[in-house]
Parts: sequence; C-alpha cells; structure tokens
Amino acid sequence: MIDKPRIGVYVCHCGKNIAGVVNVEDVAEHVRNMAGVIVAKDYRYVCSDPGQDMIKKDIRDYQLDRIVVVACSPRLHEPTFRRVLEESGLNPYLLEMVNIREQCSWVHMDEPDKATEKAKDLVRMAILRSQLLEPLEIKEVKVLKSVLIVGGGVSGISAALDLAEMGFKVYLVEKNESIGGHMAQLDKTFPSMDCSICILGPKMVEVARHPKIKIISHADIVRVEGYVGNFKVKIRENPRYVISDRCTGCGECQEVCPIEYPNEWDINLGVRKAISVPFPQAVPSVYRINIDYCLQCYKCVEACGAREAIDFGQKPKETELNVGAIIVAIGFEPYEPYQLKEYGYGTYQNVITNIEFERLINAAGPTEGKLIRVSDMKVPHRIGFIQCVGSRDERIGHIYCSRFCCMSAIKQARQIKEKLPEAEVYIFHTEPRTFGKGFEAFFRKTREYGVSVVRGRASKVLEDPETGNLTVFVEDLSLGKPVEVEVDLLILSVGMSPPKDLESLSRTLRIPRDPDGFLLEAHPKLRPVDTHTAGIFLAGACQSPKDITDSISQAKAAAASVAALLSRGKIRVESMIAHVNQDLCIGCGLCQEICPYQAMTIQNKKSKTIPALCGGCGTCASTCPEHAITMKHYTNKQILAEVVTAFQR
Amino acid sequence: MNYALFFGCVIPTREPSYEASLRAVFKELGVDLIDLDKATCCAPIPIESLDFKTSLAIAAYNLSLAEEANINIMTICNGCFQVLSKANKTLKENETLRTDINKILAEVGREYKGTVDVVDYLQVLHNDVTPERIKENISKSLNKLRVAAFYGCHVLRPSSVLNFDNPEHPHILDDLIELTEAKSVQYMHKTKCCGGLLRGISDDLASKLARNKLFNISNSKADCIVTVCPFCFLQLDVGQLDVRRRFNETYNLPVFHYPELLGLAMGIDPEKLGLKTHRISTESVLKKIE
Amino acid sequence: MAEEFEPKLIAFTCNWCSYAGADLAGVSRMQYPPNVRVIRLMCSGRVDPIFILEALKRADGVLVTGCHIGDCHYVSGNLHAEVRVKLVKKALEMVGLEPERLKLEWISASEGEKFARVIKEMVDQLKKLGKNPLRDG
Repeated sequence: MIDKPRIGVYVCHCGKNIAGVVNVEDVAEHVRNMAGVIVAKDYRYVCSDPGQDMIKKDIRDYQLDRIVVVACSPRLHEPTFRRVLEESGLNPYLLEMVNIREQCSWVHMDEPDKATEKAKDLVRMAILRSQLLEPLEIKEVKVLKSVLIVGGGVSGISAALDLAEMGFKVYLVEKNESIGGHMAQLDKTFPSMDCSICILGPKMVEVARHPKIKIISHADIVRVEGYVGNFKVKIRENPRYVISDRCTGCGECQEVCPIEYPNEWDINLGVRKAISVPFPQAVPSVYRINIDYCLQCYKCVEACGAREAIDFGQKPKETELNVGAIIVAIGFEPYEPYQLKEYGYGTYQNVITNIEFERLINAAGPTEGKLIRVSDMKVPHRIGFIQCVGSRDERIGHIYCSRFCCMSAIKQARQIKEKLPEAEVYIFHTEPRTFGKGFEAFFRKTREYGVSVVRGRASKVLEDPETGNLTVFVEDLSLGKPVEVEVDLLILSVGMSPPKDLESLSRTLRIPRDPDGFLLEAHPKLRPVDTHTAGIFLAGACQSPKDITDSISQAKAAAASVAALLSRGKIRVESMIAHVNQDLCIGCGLCQEICPYQAMTIQNKKSKTIPALCGGCGTCASTCPEHAITMKHYTNKQILAEVVTAFQR
Repeated sequence: MNYALFFGCVIPTREPSYEASLRAVFKELGVDLIDLDKATCCAPIPIESLDFKTSLAIAAYNLSLAEEANINIMTICNGCFQVLSKANKTLKENETLRTDINKILAEVGREYKGTVDVVDYLQVLHNDVTPERIKENISKSLNKLRVAAFYGCHVLRPSSVLNFDNPEHPHILDDLIELTEAKSVQYMHKTKCCGGLLRGISDDLASKLARNKLFNISNSKADCIVTVCPFCFLQLDVGQLDVRRRFNETYNLPVFHYPELLGLAMGIDPEKLGLKTHRISTESVLKKIE
Repeated sequence: MAEEFEPKLIAFTCNWCSYAGADLAGVSRMQYPPNVRVIRLMCSGRVDPIFILEALKRADGVLVTGCHIGDCHYVSGNLHAEVRVKLVKKALEMVGLEPERLKLEWISASEGEKFARVIKEMVDQLKKLGKNPLRDG
C-alpha cells in the first residue's frame, strides 16, 4: 500500500441531471481538504473527451495516483474511466466511482439539500476507500475457439453457420430429435410467402454437412462450469435405440413398423411410427424408437439387416465439451389456451390454434394441405381468427405482445382465401400490428382478397351442439355495438410463452429471467444479445417474442459478438480475485467447499486460489474463520472504511 | 345435516311451488332446514351499484342471523347465493369494511363475525346428500324425458368468489338431472343469460333474450326446461306469454324448478309439489312420465 | 416543533442484481427517502457479519440485498448471505436489539420499483423503532 496516496476527485454535473438537484460545487468543496486529496473539481460532463483529457492532464501535472469520479452509475462508465487511467499509465483498479445520479439526484428530486448531504457522505466513503486501493494484476488467458449453441431452431442454425464460416468449431445441441424448431412446422412465412421448410431445409442440410459443425440432437444440457473462454459443458444424449453412425436414414424400418402413435410435431393431428423420424426433412435423419410404444417385435431389426443400426440396449451417453462461448437460442413454446375457458379450446372441437392450422394447411401435413375441420372432415366456409390469445392479457399474467401473431393471422387468412376463394374470413383484432418491412402492404393486399377485419376483443365463444359451429361474441368497436358472428372453424392466434424447461436451464446457465419469464439480456437497448455472464449470449425468441427476421438478426449479432470475443485467442480474466494468506490459513478447507467455481485447492495443508477460475464473488473471504482470505478490491479494510464514514461528517 | 334455509323474497311471494317442492324433497332426503326468523331480502344485486355499503349491511344483517343460530346458510335463489357469498367473502377479508358495517349493524343490536358459510342447494345435494343417496330415493325413472337445463348467471359468476362449478362449461345441474334418468340435452348457447334482470329497464331486450332462449331450447326437441333461479323461471315460464304477444310464437314448454323434477322422480305427489301454480301447464310432462 | 427523527440506513448491494435494481429505480425516476447509504459489493455472499455489526454502530438499520435465490451471478453467494443474516439476527436478539433493524431482501436487476419500495418501507419502520441505542458509541 502506498503511504501517501495522491487523490484527484472529479464531481460531474451531468448537465442538469446531477447539478439540477445536487450542489456539485459544495460536494467538491466538502472533500477538498481531506487527507490525500490533491485536487477536487466539478465539471459539466466528465465522461466527455475534454473531461477525460482533463483527468489525464491532472494525473500528469499533479502526479495523482488515485482517481475518484463522482457521477453516474459505475455500471455505465467504470470501463470508460478505467481506460483513462490505463492510458495515463496508472493501474485501472485505482479508480473509484461514486453514484450520485441513478442513486441520488434522480431519486431524491424533491429534496436537493438532503441529496447534497447524501452525495457528500458517498464521496467521503469513496475517498477513504480509494486510499486503501491497490493496483491489481491484469492477466490474460487463452480462449478456446469453439462455441456451444443451445437450440437448433432458425436462430441456432443461423448463428452456427455464420460462426462455422468464420472458422470456429461449433457444437449445436438440440433437445428434440431434429433441428429446425418451430419454423420447420410452418407452412408459409410472412411477408414473402416462402414455403417455410423449403427455405429452412437447405440451411439444415448445410449445418449437417459443414465440417466445423457438430450436431448433438436428442440431448440435454446437464451442467455448465467454467468461465468465459473456457467453459466446460456436460451434455447427455438421450437414447434413440438407434446407432447414429450406422443409420443411413433409408426408412425401411419405418415401413414395416406396425405401431402408430400421435406425432407431437404434427400437434397430435397426425401419427408417426414407433420407429420413425418426426418429419421427412429431419436433420439428422437418424431414426428413433419411442420405447413407450414399441412392442420390440424386431421387424425393424429385420428390415435394417446388415447395417445393424438398432440397439435396444442403448443407454444415455454423457459427454463433456470444452468451449469458449455459449449462445442460448432455445426459442419459445406456443401458449396453450386451455385456461381461457371462454374460448372453449379443448371443449369445442372446431376451435384450434394457429400452430395446428399451420399443420393442416401444409401440403406435407396430416391432411395433405386440405383445409378441413378435424371433427367431421367437412370443408369450412366461414373461418374466424381471434387475436391476442395468451398475450396482452393481465388475467393470465402475460401482459406482453407476442409480436408475430397479427402477421401470422393475416398470412393464414390470405392462405385460406387462396385455397377457398368463396370462404368468409374474419379476423377479430383489437388492432392489427403490422410494423415490419413489407408488413403493411401485405395487410392491405390481404384485405383486398376480401378478408374482414373486425376491431374488437372477442369476449366469448359458444358452440352449436348440432353443427359444431361457433358463435363469436364481440363488440365491434367501429360500429360501436356488440355483434355475433357464426363461423365453422375458429382459429385462436396464440402467442409465445417461454419454454417450460427454461426455468431449470436458466439456473444451469446462470442467466436470470425477466418479469415475463424470458431470458434477461444485459441491456434491452444497447446489449440485446448479451447476458450478464461473460461469454454467454442470447438469440431469438428465448429473449423475447419475435418473428423469423428478427430472430436471424439476433443470431447474426450473437455470432458476431462471439467472434469478437474469441478471435484474438486470449482474453483478460478477473483481476478482483481471492488471495489466501498462507500464514493465517489453517487448511480447514471451508473455502474449497463453498466455492462455486472450484477455484480453491488445498496444497501442503494450505489453501490456494486458482486465479483463472476465481469469479470474484468474495464468499470465501466472508466464510474463512481465520479471516485469512483477502478479496482484492473488496478487502475488509476497504469495505469497513466505507461503513465507518457513511454518516460521520 | 342441517342448514338455515334462505329463500329470499321472490320465491315465497311469486313461486311458492319452488319452496314447497324443495322442503318436500329435502325432508325425504333427511336434511333439516330451519327458518331464520327476521330474515329480510338478501340485498338484491342492483342495490350494490346504488350504494355499496348499504347492500353489504343488508347482507351482513342476514348473515348475522345465521351466525347467531350457529348454522350455515343454504340458498335456493341464484341471486341470494351470489349476494350473500360475495358479501361474506368481502367482509371476511376486509377489516376496514367489516368495522364500518358492524357500526351500522350495532344500531339494530347485531354484529357480523364471519363465522358461517353460504352454500347453494345444488351444492348440498351434490356434496352432502351425494348422488348415491339421491338415487336410492328415486322410485320413478324419468328416462323418457328430454330436459333442457339452464343454470342462469349469478350462481356461476364471479367464479373466483363463488367457486361453484366451471363457469363456462358447468355440469352440476346436468349431473343432478340425469340422476332421474332423464336426458339433459345440449342446446345452442346454453350458458347465455336469460335477460331476467333487464325487466323494468329494457323490456324489449329482455323479451328478445327470453325468446332466443326458448327458440334454441325448442330446436333441441326438449320436453321441458329446468331452472334453478326464480328470475330465470319467470322469464321462461310467464315470459312465454310475453313472447307470444310480442313475437307471435308459442312454445308450450313447461318449466320446472329442479326440486320439482326431483320430487316427481322421488314419487312425491305432484299436488304437493305445487305444479298447478305454473303459468305454462305441466300436463304434457306429467303424461309423458306416467 | 421537534425535529423529526431521520433514521440512518446502510445498505449492502450486489453488483449484478440489487445494485442494478437500484440503478433502474433511478433511471425510472422512482423517488425514495435519502436516508440510505449504499455500499456496492460484487456479491451478497461477500457480506461478513462484522460489516453488519460495525454498520449497526453507525446506523439505525442495515439492509442486505442480493439476487433472488437461484439467480445468484456467482451461483450460491446469496445462500450464504441468507444464513449469515439469520445468525446475526439471532445474535442481535440476544443483546436485546430489535431484529427488524436488520433486513434481508432479494432484488433483481429488473426490480427498480421493489428497491424504492423496500427503502421506503424500511425507513418508515426505523422511524417507528426510533434511534438505535447502540449507535454512536
């Protein structure tokens, strides 16, 4: 520790943001004569270039070795000012920032005097702490040039291809048998009206063929350990009872299999065999036996013949992957509207969801693209769409907008009109949200096809027990009165929900969830694909509901972020780590027990930190019974210095 | 098993057969019903919008009578069920309101303590007496009968307070009807409101809603209607005369209160059930089930 | 008119959740009483019982905040914080100090409103409890 620190204090006005409430000149004046303070100034915008230059000049002119910046939250500008110190030849950890904006001027706007007093206390705390700050070692570690992508939907596929093309090794882990996600289930995409699987299929094949990409499907993430640049991930591949390397995807086993069961991929509208792939374009095209339905009649084994790809004794296989970064792209689940009893889903046979509709209208679907009512196989003549099912609804706690469903309904309405030009089609919206490129034009064109848009939120649906037709009760906001519309088929445009296993996955990955249950990004405006955990990124609907275009944009952003992180081959690691005083340590091993990073080892009956693994939480320091552990940058002395002066003027 | 019978004001004055049939049936089934001396009108639904505290005080007054007798309340009118249940729940949960209401009740020497529950007679039949016991008491099968069940609104909603049955797809009344081996038919817009409470405010709309209901029930080829609410009964029984006048449509659909139907299946004399007091003759049904 | 008692509150926050939540309260311009002095730590698990005890010699109340259980940025730091605060509370009871003077709250980065509310509520409660007898000597 330096005996006589030379401290520079800079109190920022931040325009009127701080100076409008806190008397910044007074604050500077209050600390000007404190021990060790060489210079104390106030300045309009300390983070600006001239502000930064001023600090650099003062460091030179006054030989300052501690800088205290009194301004906004360190979470915003700590890196900025640490760089200023580095560029002036000082260790970046000799900086202390005081938050008198987010935690003072902005929250005590009606009490300027008290806010100023609080600011003075906070600056004093920082100055006493800064006297005890020490320079910390800046270390770099090598990073692995490989990435784990969790989730093989359109986002995962897009990020995988971009990263593989850049030369990184990519592991694409998917919990289902095939990659493709929900996009593979759709018939057409808006607004281009492309056949969904036709544009996705080639990408799926590219992923399978790419030498840099390894697909691990039908697998779950068990554990994630390590830190940025060096993650250790344990994966469990669930048994397919088919040996992947030997299966050629010929399908002869499927042909002879006598058992059929409802195909979840077809929303249980269609069936699949006990040994099958979920859909013809599945990637990898490795067949799977559903052991719950299989009779073990061995007909498939016979058909497989010399390839001998079937193995009833297959067990789950655990593998460990070492990667430098992780992208989470686990997507969404469609909301299941059983809860909304007034719409009768699950009770009335002719009420279906938009996803079920996609399978019905799809030429490769269970009805080969014929739009019929599954209840009686009749062709419907009047079709209705109810919007905002499971979205923008306080009753079920989903107040968010799912973003894709207005366009999806408009697209589906157009498809109906193309197949059944005489059909009456109604969309019951509160308002249509057609915000994207080409969306508004698509909407107008669809209306020209004769689709009726009724503005109003449907309140109730009742069934005619004889015909199975539905009557939709809605207040038509344009007419200003309630109307009843009878339809043969009712489609509920359900929104996106976070996937059910997101809760456990978020804990495994240490990513918190936002209030709606989706994964939390680092900053909603500036860092939508970063998380608070260095090295872990987000892409697609798992971060918040969005359509294919936006999912791909995010996937590309995440891929670019990963590339930026890993391209240099090395990155800086945490400097604020634990240090064990070998003289005081009694080798009890408590620190090793409680460390979540396995960063403590016992050597020669004493504990030592493994610097690259230490996360810097400090739990060991407060656990050690001998107070033998010093947490760099958060030592007991430094923290107690703040406590002691918090209210002592 | 005993309850305080709360029959409100419409039933004793305009539908004595509902009360008579209910007492007869419950006596046979071994449920003791006591009367609450000095009970008043429950505090009908419109009063809540005119003065919330007054409606709560009236309901609390009636609840306090049952509390004094240390007995739960059983209602036979949807309206009474909803009003008393809502008031009971509100006062049990809201300390401030409870204190305010008790100040009013103190003026007549009473106090609401929140010690009793309110149930509807359908719940008592289903949960306490149980379908098995009821079946044991049924001597006459009504298997030739097609019945259109109608729940009304105030026994189902607000579902979060009343917890009576699935508010959109209720089944308790259908189940109870089918204990007699009659068929409870599905008909168009079964759970839509009968329009009863619109009488006096918008007779045109009230008549239209009654007519729609009768029309839909008639299309389902039902022999009769079963109601559990005195207002629904009026709309659909006496209401048929109004509908004939306004729309020139005759339905001749007899309407029964549920205890009347059950009473017939239990072999109770139709005279004792008071069927002659109905406006639409019940002869067609009585002939059918002979 | 006697001057109203203004309690002094020291709050330990964690960088990833509660400190960020406090920042969000500021960004959202939620107002709360200026009685609190926030000390930023990396994790609530860093809170050593001696910090709490020293704080109670200078303030009327101590608030320890961190991430919700299961969401700790360092996996399990908050679990240790929970245990420690419970133990310190027991110790406080034994010396006759009101245990309400020490509070533990989990506040996530998206709970700006909660942070402001917790401060308001604790200041109100400390006003009722009065000056800490162990304070200032």
